[in-house]
Amino acid sequence: MTLQNATFEHHMVAGLARGRRHDAPRVVPWVLPLILVLGLFYLYPVFDVMRLAFMRATLLANDGTYTLSTLIETLSRPELGQILWVTFVFTGSSVVAQQLLGLVIALVVVRGEGRGLFGTTIVRTTALIAWVVPGIAGGIIWKMLFNEAPFGGLNSILRLMGAAPVQWLSDPDLVMWSVVLSNVWRGTAFSMVVMYAALKAIDPVLYEAASVDGANARQKLFYVTLPQLRAAILVNMILITIQTLNTFDAIISLTGGGPGRATEVLSLYTFNIVFRNYDLSVGAVLSILMLAISLGLALIYAVFLPKGDE
Amino acid sequence: MSASSRERLGDAFSYLFMLVIFVFFAWPLLWLLSLALRTRKEVFLGVSRFIPKAPTLDNFAMILSSDKFLGYLWNALKLSSLSAIGCLVVALPAAYAFSRFKFRGKGGWMMAILSVQMISPLVILVPLYRYMAAIGLTDSHFGVVMVYIALAVPTVTWILKGSIDGIPRSLDEAALIDGCTRWGVFVRVILPLSTPGIASAFIISVIAGWSQFLVPFLLITREALTPIGVGIFQYAGTQNDSSIQLLAAACLVSVVPAIIAFLSLQRLILGAMTAGAVKG
Repeated sequence: MTLQNATFEHHMVAGLARGRRHDAPRVVPWVLPLILVLGLFYLYPVFDVMRLAFMRATLLANDGTYTLSTLIETLSRPELGQILWVTFVFTGSSVVAQQLLGLVIALVVVRGEGRGLFGTTIVRTTALIAWVVPGIAGGIIWKMLFNEAPFGGLNSILRLMGAAPVQWLSDPDLVMWSVVLSNVWRGTAFSMVVMYAALKAIDPVLYEAASVDGANARQKLFYVTLPQLRAAILVNMILITIQTLNTFDAIISLTGGGPGRATEVLSLYTFNIVFRNYDLSVGAVLSILMLAISLGLALIYAVFLPKGDE
Repeated sequence: MSASSRERLGDAFSYLFMLVIFVFFAWPLLWLLSLALRTRKEVFLGVSRFIPKAPTLDNFAMILSSDKFLGYLWNALKLSSLSAIGCLVVALPAAYAFSRFKFRGKGGWMMAILSVQMISPLVILVPLYRYMAAIGLTDSHFGVVMVYIALAVPTVTWILKGSIDGIPRSLDEAALIDGCTRWGVFVRVILPLSTPGIASAFIISVIAGWSQFLVPFLLITREALTPIGVGIFQYAGTQNDSSIQLLAAACLVSVVPAIIAFLSLQRLILGAMTAGAVKG
């Protein structure tokens, strides 16, 4: 830190001296600290992961030779198909549910604000508080809710209403939906905020015009609101897809990936390979797989971004 | 049905929906609070004691009196606030340059910085550990803070750029004509005027640092240096059903600081975030 600041200041002074002479501002000294921090503590390891993926390295040994065998071996692991399927189901359903719920909450909140209804701020804030809860804590909280002991926050309500208790976390067919539910609880606020801002940005003239043309509420939703939200929905879906893909802390403290491998998503699988099996090379290959998926999504994101004036 | 009665029916549905949503989002945390306030005996009475008959603060006292937990909390506070400050130091000049200067490939650079954000720390887990071990930055708060900064700085740069974009350029130009240097403009004009953006960026990175799990889990092995994100995970692993009220209290203690930080500047933070997300 001190070292970087020193270099930073050195460049800054040099830059300013030059800047005074001929008025074009130097960009480099201003962005250098950012580039240094990102490069040294983030990007360098990304390049290293590429190298590692082609070696046979564990925490204990590294024979230093390059090989494709780790890559092939990792990608042909029998459980990988199951892992990817679990990842797809978890990510897909979380993203769809968060996007839909976020949009509906935003619509109701905007309508409520327009009509001066009570409680719109409370609803918004409550959702946002869930969003700030750290992943590990979120997993612990939901584990208490799903618990089948008497203190389980969901089953004890069911019991009170005379319904049969549900095996939220031990039924392999149900557990995925429990995990998705907890993820939707934590993640929806982000979509809600984005959708809310996008709704507020729609030109009210469009609604007036639609009213003049005799459109009813449903027609306004389908012919004005949703088309206007198209870009925001796309951007939001890609952002939350990447977020969800990388989620593993909320799962590790909720189910640990179980029962069996029923909720072991790719990110958690990578974590386990590295921290339980200490297999760095396989971990690196899996990391690259995740990187490829994220970058693919980021590219789609870049394509849909509005082109700026710079 | 007349227009006004249709509106009133709509209001009723809105209220019903908002109630359901409120319960969905509030119930987990209310349940956590309820468990944390119970004695061991009442924990097993389920929802009928949602409001405990004999509420107790003993669980919190127990958690907060252990040096271990105070250490976890202090470490998390230290790591997240130092990294938030570091983030601002690194991001502010860059955000100013991106907002004000014209240079080749600016849009590309902005996108490149944002795409770094999309690389999960999980991707660099393995090399990061080897790298940090090689330069002697494992079991060091300095090393962890630097990685936190790298993780949060792309978002923070975008947020600050958005906030500086909102300051009229004519102010820069007036100061430059009055003989200010670029650095002088930055320190005397831009920094004071972008306080709301700086405040929200600061809080956003504090919350991000507070929630970190993977990086400290990887880089810190000594318990004395462990922050709460990892501490609560390890604590949960050692607890069983008979001490669930203690785990609830510990969990609440780990969550509340982040919630308070967020609520303190809620409106500013949302404004700063959505400005980036909606404009792109």
